[in-house]
Amino acid sequence: MQGLWDLNTFEPRLDVVVPGDTIPAMFWNAVKQRGDTVWMRQKELGIWRSWSWHQTADAVREIAAGLQAIGFAPGECASILSNTVIEWVLADLAVLSCGGVSNGIYPTDAASQVHYLCEDSRTTVLFVEDDEQLDKALEVRAGLPGLRRIVVFDMEGLRDLDDPGVMSLDALRELGRARLSADPQAVERTVAACRPEDLAILVYTSGTTGKPKGAMHSHAGLVYTARGYNTLIAQDEKDERMCFLPLCHIAERMGGEYFAMYTGSILNFVENPETVPENVREIAPTVFTAVPRVWEKFYSGVMIALKEASPLQQAAYRWSIGVGEAIAAKVLAGEPVGAGLKLKFRLARLLALDNARKLIGIHRSRFLVTGAAPISPELVKWYLALGVPMLEVWGMTESCGASTAVPATRIKPGSIGPATGYNEVRIDPATGEILVRGPNVFMGYLNLPEKTAETIDAEGWLHTGDVGVMDEDGYFRITDRMKDIIITAGGKNVTPSELENELKFSLYITDAVVIGDKKPYLTVIVMIDQENVEKFAQDNDVPFSNYESLTRTKEVLDLIQGEIDRVNAKFARVEQIKKFFLLETQLSAEDEELTPTMKLKRKLVQTKYAERIEAMYR
Amino acid sequence: MSQNPPSVSDTPVLKLLNVESAYGPIRAIRGVSLQVRRGEIATVLGSNGAGKTTILKTISGIIDPRKGSIEFKGEDITANDPAHIVQQGLSHVPEGREVFPLLTVHDNLVMGAYTRKDKDGIARDMEAVYAYFPILRERAAQDAGLLSGGQQQMLAISRAIMASPDLILLDEPSLGLSPKLTKEIFEIVVRINRERGTTILLVEQNANMALNAADHGYVLENGRIVMEDACERLREKEDIKEFYLGVKDDGVRGERRWKKKKTWR
Repeated sequence: MQGLWDLNTFEPRLDVVVPGDTIPAMFWNAVKQRGDTVWMRQKELGIWRSWSWHQTADAVREIAAGLQAIGFAPGECASILSNTVIEWVLADLAVLSCGGVSNGIYPTDAASQVHYLCEDSRTTVLFVEDDEQLDKALEVRAGLPGLRRIVVFDMEGLRDLDDPGVMSLDALRELGRARLSADPQAVERTVAACRPEDLAILVYTSGTTGKPKGAMHSHAGLVYTARGYNTLIAQDEKDERMCFLPLCHIAERMGGEYFAMYTGSILNFVENPETVPENVREIAPTVFTAVPRVWEKFYSGVMIALKEASPLQQAAYRWSIGVGEAIAAKVLAGEPVGAGLKLKFRLARLLALDNARKLIGIHRSRFLVTGAAPISPELVKWYLALGVPMLEVWGMTESCGASTAVPATRIKPGSIGPATGYNEVRIDPATGEILVRGPNVFMGYLNLPEKTAETIDAEGWLHTGDVGVMDEDGYFRITDRMKDIIITAGGKNVTPSELENELKFSLYITDAVVIGDKKPYLTVIVMIDQENVEKFAQDNDVPFSNYESLTRTKEVLDLIQGEIDRVNAKFARVEQIKKFFLLETQLSAEDEELTPTMKLKRKLVQTKYAERIEAMYR
Repeated sequence: MSQNPPSVSDTPVLKLLNVESAYGPIRAIRGVSLQVRRGEIATVLGSNGAGKTTILKTISGIIDPRKGSIEFKGEDITANDPAHIVQQGLSHVPEGREVFPLLTVHDNLVMGAYTRKDKDGIARDMEAVYAYFPILRERAAQDAGLLSGGQQQMLAISRAIMASPDLILLDEPSLGLSPKLTKEIFEIVVRINRERGTTILLVEQNANMALNAADHGYVLENGRIVMEDACERLREKEDIKEFYLGVKDDGVRGERRWKKKKTWR
């Protein structure tokens, strides 16, 4: 196993590993190349079941032919309303193989949102995971005249369903088999007819304000980006990865599904969102992409285990992580790591660090990738101290994922890295906004030409809305979202995300929204980490019954005040937080306050809690 | 069930603070704080294995908690001897009745009064329980083991009353009883509370009965309290309706199998 000091062994792949200029062409070429090797795994009734490329291809061909049999024409849109399961990938590839447009809908979306997304995308076929998702679709079906058929992946509990508009995935495959026996080349023809410039997928942005917007990506953009990713973080058929983030999000769609399809790395699907920690330990992925919230959870899991460990174990951890931090500091400073320190690190791994890595499940990880939201530099350094390189990427739905990436050879925590080789990135001298240009930039928003024109300018630059700076090495650093910058009543410009990220590094704070625009001082709304705060309360004999009463206890308020004081100490007086309140309801992804990736929606939270915010200024 | 309720005072007669109990490495309750006010019926709802019985056993001293404290009538009784706790005026009606099968019904009741010295009071209470449960008078001379399940439950409750307690802990009185019998038992539990002013802490799986009988309720899941409120408000909560009362809309198809997510608010 390599150390942090010899990461230059990561070889970028500049050649094209699988030919094909459209996603379906690439998929079918990959099938020819890889045949009976395993591509995907999913746990069924407690046993991991493998899907070889051939098996996947058979399923995709049948589903695609079935879609054709029910009249799904090239250019039509099909939506997928499901958690991250194998069938999601099968349906997606089948839709694209028909020359159709594929759109994902979050399984946590309410029926009304399902209605909006199906209507806006002109969905004709809707795939749903199970009876629960089906009920949402049925609730709004009357308002969707364009929706011709609903296809259900899992028919459990629906045996008695008799509805001409609804069929099972198995029944669709049956139709497909019948069509293929009459016309074996039916799918090959639509795959060949698919052109790179055609619209391939829609990715609706979660839309913190207003309705979600459907970002359009062409086959060419997706293929270009998949090839581009391999020049950053090369992976191949020997790599194991997790597939667990929502596939409707660009991170898992592009960085998971399509990138794994291109490189042949194995996609391991988790059983359900609750079993992610166990599944990670079982799989022990060799490359692992996740969002900061996941990394924070893993970190706090280790911290909790540590608190319950014996004093000897705690001492061993402290010494070991100290050695890891010393090495990380040297590597980050670009200094050589001495033989003595390397020897100490071997011992540190044996003593504690390997156990911490195994507890998370990253003991085989060659590297970790974090993106989709800002991450605290402290957290990155902690993973580096464990000896696992963590690489931050930055990008957005509209840039098809990563536009900048931290290279393994020169990690700078707190920075999002230089522009990737496949797109240009620059800072708008007038506004400080980060701009991106390249073939990976999206085609525009569906049905919204004005919004598209606002986002992509005449010279083809994508206006990302993030404000940042570039250092002398060409590394970018995000300072804030354009729209989020706070100007206090005193005229001070404050970037809330800096404060928020520092707060989120606390074990007890899951998310925070800093307030203060046109106000005399800064305040913050805090969402506590239920598990850790409950544990704190229990360890310190703080009585509470439910979540609400927990957030009202003096001790918990003092605890959060302490965390805020700690963060305040790092900032100038005018940038310090004077007051705060805790959200008293326990929020889940179904709640309007949270994005599907479990971030607080700034605008919505500000409106919804306007009264309590006002109270902090009285 | 509509007698005038006894005046419920705000001072708690029983108070649990962060109580944590375990069976070996398995933590059955993970930090429970609750209080029972004098004169009320409080209930703890929860599914199998939620930790309901463990709470009662910890209160009555059968299990010693790992953490936390229990206060009864202002005094700390944490991990006290069960016999001492009974003398303080706290009686436990255990799950599955646990009557003395080889003693007569009468002797079982006398056993309940074992800690008392006031002969007149004992005689009065004996009459009172016979009035609540006339069947026990008929069978006074029979061995308790020969009673039916429902009669044994009546006997177990009566035995607790015989100690003239301030607080009765009642562990699943509906266990194994017919709906009709369950209803009768609950009616008498409410009468005991209303007429004698005895405070009652009831744990139940039969949420519907418990919510109708009790004044204040707690919901226990995986050893932690996730919700508490007055019972009339609890009955209106979405999660209580869906998961505890089995009331649900059938959805668009008229037959909904999947469960909504619990939010506990």
